[in-house]
Amino acid sequence: MKGTHLGEFQELVLLSIGVLYPEAYGVGIKEEIYAKTGRKVTLSTVHAALNRLEKKGLIKSELGEATKIRGGKRKRYLTITSYGIKMLSESRAQREQFWNAIPEIVFDVN
Amino acid sequence: MSSTDENRPPKSAYKLFKWFCDSRYFEELQGDLEEHFYRNRESLGHKKASSIYWKSVLGMIRPSVISQIKIKYPLNNSAMFRNYSLVALRSIARNKLFSFINIIGLAISMVVGLLAIAFITELYSYDAFHEKKDRIHRVIITQHEGDQEPAFYASVSPLLGRQLETDYTSFEKVVTIYRNLNGDVKKGDNTVSLNGFYATEDFFDVFTFPMIHGSPSSALSDPFSLVLTETSALKVFGKIDVVGEVISWNNQNQLKVTGVVKDPPRTSHMNFQAIASFGFLEKLNARNTGLMSWQNMWNSHVYILLPESGSTTNLQADLDKIAAQENPKLYNSSFEPELQSLTSIFPGRKLNNQLGARMELKNINYIVILAIIVLASAAFNYTNLSIARTLKRAKEVGVRKVVGAQRRQVFLQFIIEAVIVSLMALVIAYFLFQLVRPEFLSLNRDIQRTSTLELSAIHYLYFLLFSVGVGILSGFFPSVILSRLKPSAIVKGVSRLKSASGLSLRKLLVGIQFTLSIGFVLLVGLAGKQYDFALNYDLGFETENILNIYLQNNDVDLLSNSLAQLPEVETISKSSWVPSVGGIWTNRGKYIEGNDSTTVNLMNVNGAYISNLGHELLAGDIFTDGLDRTQIVVNEQLVKRFRMGEPIDALGKRVRLQGRNRTIVGVVRDFQHATLDNEVAPFAFLSEPNGYRLLNLKISSDDMAETMLKIEAAWSELDPVHEFQAFFYQDRIERAYASLSTSTKTLGLLAIIAIVISILGLLGMAVYTTESRIKELTIRKVLGATTSHLLRLLSRNFVIMFVVTSAVAVPLSLYAFKELIIPGMVHTINIGFWDLSRGLLIIFGLTAVIIGSQALKAARNNPVKNLRSE
Repeated sequence: MKGTHLGEFQELVLLSIGVLYPEAYGVGIKEEIYAKTGRKVTLSTVHAALNRLEKKGLIKSELGEATKIRGGKRKRYLTITSYGIKMLSESRAQREQFWNAIPEIVFDVN
Repeated sequence: MSSTDENRPPKSAYKLFKWFCDSRYFEELQGDLEEHFYRNRESLGHKKASSIYWKSVLGMIRPSVISQIKIKYPLNNSAMFRNYSLVALRSIARNKLFSFINIIGLAISMVVGLLAIAFITELYSYDAFHEKKDRIHRVIITQHEGDQEPAFYASVSPLLGRQLETDYTSFEKVVTIYRNLNGDVKKGDNTVSLNGFYATEDFFDVFTFPMIHGSPSSALSDPFSLVLTETSALKVFGKIDVVGEVISWNNQNQLKVTGVVKDPPRTSHMNFQAIASFGFLEKLNARNTGLMSWQNMWNSHVYILLPESGSTTNLQADLDKIAAQENPKLYNSSFEPELQSLTSIFPGRKLNNQLGARMELKNINYIVILAIIVLASAAFNYTNLSIARTLKRAKEVGVRKVVGAQRRQVFLQFIIEAVIVSLMALVIAYFLFQLVRPEFLSLNRDIQRTSTLELSAIHYLYFLLFSVGVGILSGFFPSVILSRLKPSAIVKGVSRLKSASGLSLRKLLVGIQFTLSIGFVLLVGLAGKQYDFALNYDLGFETENILNIYLQNNDVDLLSNSLAQLPEVETISKSSWVPSVGGIWTNRGKYIEGNDSTTVNLMNVNGAYISNLGHELLAGDIFTDGLDRTQIVVNEQLVKRFRMGEPIDALGKRVRLQGRNRTIVGVVRDFQHATLDNEVAPFAFLSEPNGYRLLNLKISSDDMAETMLKIEAAWSELDPVHEFQAFFYQDRIERAYASLSTSTKTLGLLAIIAIVISILGLLGMAVYTTESRIKELTIRKVLGATTSHLLRLLSRNFVIMFVVTSAVAVPLSLYAFKELIIPGMVHTINIGFWDLSRGLLIIFGLTAVIIGSQALKAARNNPVKNLRSE
């Protein structure tokens, strides 16, 4: 990822984390994305995205409790940082700007 | 959720994931994977879930997940290695005594290794210059005769070569070589004596002896052709472009020079000055049908060139066919042909009738084994001292590990240290090698003839690899032990590590070293004594001041008369060969009156020989020149074997020998007619006027050199062409036991090396023991222990070790002496108490001095010095 630009998939992941607050974790995010967009993504893709987001400082993580369904492994819960919120809203604002700049006529034509 | 195996995700996928996954992410990801699996399992079933699990695991193989361990270290390791080398050098410099012991010990033993490398690479370079070397094979035969042990020969009848050539096709070319080409080549006034062999046409097509002038494929096709080497051509003609010149051969034949070849390289197992055509040999033997007979296998060799990608199977079958067809013509004996590849001729197995240089493979094995033993001994020193000093280096290891070094890094560090020591030793060993080289070459005539030990680039590479190898081997154990140390254990206290520092291993290693030193010392003593014994053995006749002169086809009476005029020559006799120095000549002898027969050792002499060589006559007259063809003089053994009764009774009895009935006219006391490997057997002196090859001169002179000059002058007058060849009997006896003398010298050298190494090791151990116990000793002293008490305390262990190793070494070296140094020797020394205890005393004395001096130093120390600082 170049610079601070938020990729499309990363944005989806970030939004899912927000939706699932406070219990966002790998499998949950994967399923949330599937539920909302119908996109089938693999765990490793999610993991890679999470990794990058965390490196950029957009999310933070902490290990949660161990559950039996996970073979005694702990979950890593993810929450959006304030910087992450800022990036999300910036991205949203950018889009709003574009939306607002589209002339009404465009919608009529189609 | 039940957790039986069948309900869980596939185990192998789990293992795979665990293996490649970065440990930082493993828990979370494995949890995710597993949760995902169980969810899928509920909705899709176990099989489907498993396959999804597998896919997910494989999908995880991506840079962000894969453990970075394989490339965790930066590629640039030079800083680390520089640090290792620096620490190694510092540690070498800090412990000067230990480093000295290690480096010198390794250097000395490495010399043996370097010698072995140089020697063996040289031997294995033999015959490598033949372009078709991989396709050339030689026929060797095994002779079975009656119930005797089979005999092995490198020679075979020329008939075999002839038959292959005419009737068989399982090969590309065949060459028959017949030895004993020697003759005087005359060109104008210039006469030169040349040696070589006869060979069939394809000789130069099969072997690579580059021809400078002439055509290789046709040089030997005409019977009256002769091929010279460069040197011979220069000797005869003074130039090398001599093809087409005609020379006179032995004043009988005219031969045309058809080729001039480069001198055969020193690394050729066959050597020649001239080669004549096999056809010429057949012309010379036109009336002798025996040349091509199956039993005439003494002088000829058959070499076969296989076609490219050809195998020996068919050829061997053909050889067997020929043997099956010819063997029935032999009386009570058979030859079994076999193929030997050119590359395994030299060095190779032991065969009789070799063509040129020989070197037994066995010798090479001995050298390798000895080099390994000596090297192992020196490597033990390094291992020992390093292990002993584990404690001193333990803190360093601890710090390294705490800072983050992994076990294999520590291991590598100590290996590098050992390699550095070994490379230092190599430098010294190289100089020692240059010093020892001439000594090694003069050890033995075979070595002198076959090697020069000149070094080339490849040798230096071998030396380097060898040295690194030695370093790795000697550093292996210490590195294992040091790298195994746990930082926590080191921090808790070094003294607790004591038990783990490989004490029993060390004791074992020192024990082995000691056994070797004692063994070598004992063996030197025994071999030397046996050598002396052999030289001074009472043969039963006089060899003092007897000069044997080769007749070289000169008229025996002419020469003998001319030499007899010299005042220094007391008596002269004639003989066919020289007994007691290794050769034998036997034939079947039949006792006519007793109707009994046995193998009899024979020698052709004139009557004067018996008294000239001081044989003691038990019966019969003193012979002057009176022995004739029908008379023989025998030894007691023969009389005994044929049950003739007392020596006096044997007179007048007849024995059929060499196709003639001969009457016994004298009996001599038994004498040692062969080397000491053999028992005295029935022996007969007979007298065939044409069978003399030597004159035996008894000389009494105050100035031997002057006398020799006179004799030589008399020789040159009669025979200006051939070089005067003579030797003193006693010298030839010495040569016959040269292998014993070589063993003695080699063992002497090894003994010195082994002793130096083990003494160095011992010194190291003694220094270490006293150093590490210095506080204990001081406290004992303060509490009132006497010096002698402390001495006893320190040396007790070494004395025990000495006793144990002696108990092992003495029987071992006795065994080695009997089996390796004098195998089959019939007359051997009696090994007495002193022969053994002398060697033991030497070693014990040296040990006592070393240990004693160290212990004394420690015991006399001022207690204050050692206790003041902690």
